[in-house]
Amino acid sequence: MTLGLAAPAGAAPAGDVTTAVRQDGIPETLRVGTEGVYSPFSYHDSKGKLTGYDIELMDAVAAKLGVKVEYVETPWDAMFAALEADKFDIVANQVTRNDERAAKYDLSVPYIDTTGVVVVAEGNSTIKSLTDIKGKRAAENLTSNWSDVARDAGAEVVGMEGMTESIEALRQGRVDVVINDKLAISNYLATVKNPGVKIVTETKDVSQSVYAARKGSGYMDEINRTIVELKANGTEKRIYDKYFGAASSEASRWDLIRNNAWPLLVKMVTATIPLTAITFAIGLVAALGVALARMSSNPFVSFLGRAYISAIRGIPLLVLLFLIFFGLPQFGIKLSPWTAAIIGLSANVAGYAAETIRGAILSLPRGQWEAAQTIGMGYGTSLRRIILPQAARVAVPPLSNTLLSLLKDTSLVSTILVVEMFRQAQIAAAPTFEFFTMYALAALYYWVACTILSYFQGRTETRLNRYVTA
Amino acid sequence: MSTTPATTDTTAAGGHLVDVEHLRKSFGDHEVLRDISFEIRSGSATCIIGPSGSGKTTILRSLNALEIPDSGVVRIGDLTVDFAGITPGRGGRLPRAQREQLAAYRAQSGMVFQSHNLFPHKTVLENVTEGPVIVQGENAAEAAGRARDLLDQVGLSAHVDKYPHQLSGGQQQRVGIARALALRPKLVLFDEPTSALDPELVGDVLGVMKDLAAQGWTMAIVTHELRFAQQVADQVLFIDGGVIVEQGDPRQVIGDPQHERTRTFLRRVMEPI
Ligand SMILES: Nc1ncnc2c1ncn2[C@@H]1O[C@H](COP(=O)(O)OP(=O)(O)O)[C@@H](O)[C@H]1O
Ligand SMILES: [Mg+2]
Repeated sequence: MTLGLAAPAGAAPAGDVTTAVRQDGIPETLRVGTEGVYSPFSYHDSKGKLTGYDIELMDAVAAKLGVKVEYVETPWDAMFAALEADKFDIVANQVTRNDERAAKYDLSVPYIDTTGVVVVAEGNSTIKSLTDIKGKRAAENLTSNWSDVARDAGAEVVGMEGMTESIEALRQGRVDVVINDKLAISNYLATVKNPGVKIVTETKDVSQSVYAARKGSGYMDEINRTIVELKANGTEKRIYDKYFGAASSEASRWDLIRNNAWPLLVKMVTATIPLTAITFAIGLVAALGVALARMSSNPFVSFLGRAYISAIRGIPLLVLLFLIFFGLPQFGIKLSPWTAAIIGLSANVAGYAAETIRGAILSLPRGQWEAAQTIGMGYGTSLRRIILPQAARVAVPPLSNTLLSLLKDTSLVSTILVVEMFRQAQIAAAPTFEFFTMYALAALYYWVACTILSYFQGRTETRLNRYVTA
Repeated sequence: MSTTPATTDTTAAGGHLVDVEHLRKSFGDHEVLRDISFEIRSGSATCIIGPSGSGKTTILRSLNALEIPDSGVVRIGDLTVDFAGITPGRGGRLPRAQREQLAAYRAQSGMVFQSHNLFPHKTVLENVTEGPVIVQGENAAEAAGRARDLLDQVGLSAHVDKYPHQLSGGQQQRVGIARALALRPKLVLFDEPTSALDPELVGDVLGVMKDLAAQGWTMAIVTHELRFAQQVADQVLFIDGGVIVEQGDPRQVIGDPQHERTRTFLRRVMEPI
C-alpha cells in the first residue's frame, strides 16, 4: 500500500545530511519520526503538546546524548517511506523488532517489551484463543507487525488507518477481531467509557519495541548505550509508570469539542483555506496553459496537453501526492510537505480544470474568434479580451465544483505530513480515542466552508450573467 | 465630419482601391473560387449577387484574410498580397513574416457579418471602441467620442450603454457596422447584412448602408436585396459556381442580363413562387 516501501532501503543519497553532525555520528539535531496520534506512546495532550511514553523516553535519550530533538509527525503507514526519504533520522513509535526490519534498517536494542492481545467484541464468545481467529476478519494497520500475526494465524486482514479505527470496526461488527499491542489496548480500555470490546488472550510472542534508523546510520551503538543507562538508573521506569501505572483521566466528549473547536477553526483558516486558495489559483493558470496546448494546431504540443490530462485523470490524487513526496527524493528531489502538497494539488486541479476550460472555449461560436480577428486582434488579445471572459461564464459552475472538491481533497495532504485541519482533528482525538467526535467536527467545518463557497459561486454567476439575461 | 471615410490617399480619385486577380480557393476537392478577378473603384459600392453556395462569402472572407486563398493576387490600397506565397509552416502555423503581412492586409478592410458577431460581454460602446483602443492604441476618450458619433449616425445614440442582447436584430447589425467603421478601414465588407433580420428591420440597415455609400465609403456587399443593389451599387458582380458570370453596371446586370444563368437567378429571386 505505501508506495515508498517498495523502494530500495537506504535510497536516500549519501551526503544528504541536512543538519550538522557531531564527531560520534549523531546529528546535532536528531529528527525523530513519530505518529503523534498513537496514545499513550505518541500523542498530543489537551494543550496540544506532543507527549507520550515514546516521546518522553526519546527526550531522555536525546538529553543524555546532548543533542536537540525535533519531532516530525508522520502517519504510521508512511513512516518507513519517510525515513527512507530522509524526512527524519530515526523512528520512535513502538516499532516492533522483526527480521525483515532488522535486515532493512538499523535497529536499536529493545526499550520496552510487550505482547500482543487478541481483542473481540464484548458479546463474542466464539473466539477464545489465537487459533480461533482462523478464517475470521481482522482489522489491522497493513504495515504493522500485528497484521502479520493475524495473517499467520489464518485471519483475513482488513486494512485500517490506526488502532482506534480498528476497534471501531470491531465494535460495529464489521470485523471479528483486532490484534494489537497490549499496552496500547490496555490504555484504550482504561480511557474510553464504554469500550464494547474485551481482551480474550495474549499472543505468545513477546514483541520488542526498538528505534529504527536508515542502514548505516552509524550512531545506534551510542543510542543503545543510552537506553541501557536509562533503564539502569530508573528513568525509563518512571516514564513507564506515568503512562501505564494509573488509569488516565477521561475527558468528556463535550470537553473535547470545546477544547478543539477553536484550534480546528484556526487550522482551517491558516492551513486548509490558504492551501485551497493557492493551489486553485496556480492550478487554474496551469489549466489554461494545458487547455490551450491541448487545442494547439501543433500536433506535438496538442499531444502533450492530452497526455497530461490523461495522466491526471488516471492517477489517484493520493498516489500522486505520495509519488511527489516519497518518490521524488529517490531521484534527489526533496520537497517540504507544504511544497509537495501545493505541487500535487495544483497539478491535480490543472488536469481537471483544463478540460472544463477547453470545453468552455469550444462552446463559443467561431464567429467570436473571427470578429476579434477582423478588428485586428491576434491570438493572445482575442483570448484575453474576447474569448476568456465569455468562457469564464460557461466555466464557473463546473470550476466551482472543482474548487469544492479541492477544499475537501486538501484533507489528503495530511498523509504527507502537512498539518491541516483534518490532521489537527486526528491529533486532537488521539489521546481520548474520540475519533468519531473529532471527525464529525471536521466534517461540519468542511461543510460550512463549502456552503460559503457555494454562496459566492452563485454571486459570481449572477455577475457574469448580466450580459446575457435582461 | 468624423464619420466620413478615410481618404483613399494612395489612390487617385476614381482609380482602383482594390484589384483582385486570379483568385482560387478549394476546400478539399471542392473548388469554390475558380479564377476570380475584379476591381473596385475608390468610393464605389460593389454588390455581389449569386445563388447560395456560389462562393460569395468566400470572396469577402478572402479580402479580409479570414480565408486564405490558394493562389491569386489581391491589392488593397498600397498593400499587395500574393497568396501563392502564403503557406503554413510546420505545426500548421504561418511564419511570422506572413502573419504580419496578413495582419496589415486585414487592417485595410472592415467586416460586417451576417450574424453580427457582436461581443456579448461588452456594451454597445465598448464593442465599437474595442478595436481602436486595444488594437490601434487610440486614446480611450477620443475613441469613445468617435464611437458615439458613429453610433449616432447609425441611429443608436440612445443605446450606447446597453448590452447587445438588449437590442433588436436590426440595431445589433447597425452596431456591427459602427464597429467595422470605427477602425477607419479603406474598404468595408458586408456579408448579407440583412439576411438574418425580420423583414420590417431590413430597411433601417439598408438605409444606413445607403448613407455610407453616399458619404463615399468604398464598400463590397454580398446581398439578395436587388432593389438596394440597383439604387446603390456602382458595380454588380454575378457569381455562379465560383466564377464571375457577369459584371457591370446594375442597370445592365440586373436590368438587362446577358447570360441565361443570370436571368434564371434573377427570376428566382424576384418571383420566388
Ligand atoms: N470552411 C469550409 N470548409 C469546406 N467547405 C466550405 C467552407 N466554407 C465554404 N465552403 C463551401 O464553399 C462553397 C461556397 O461557400 P460560400 O462562399 O459560403 O458561398 P455563398 O456565400 O455564395 O453562399 C459552399 O459549397 C460551401 O459549402
Ligand atoms: Mg454566404
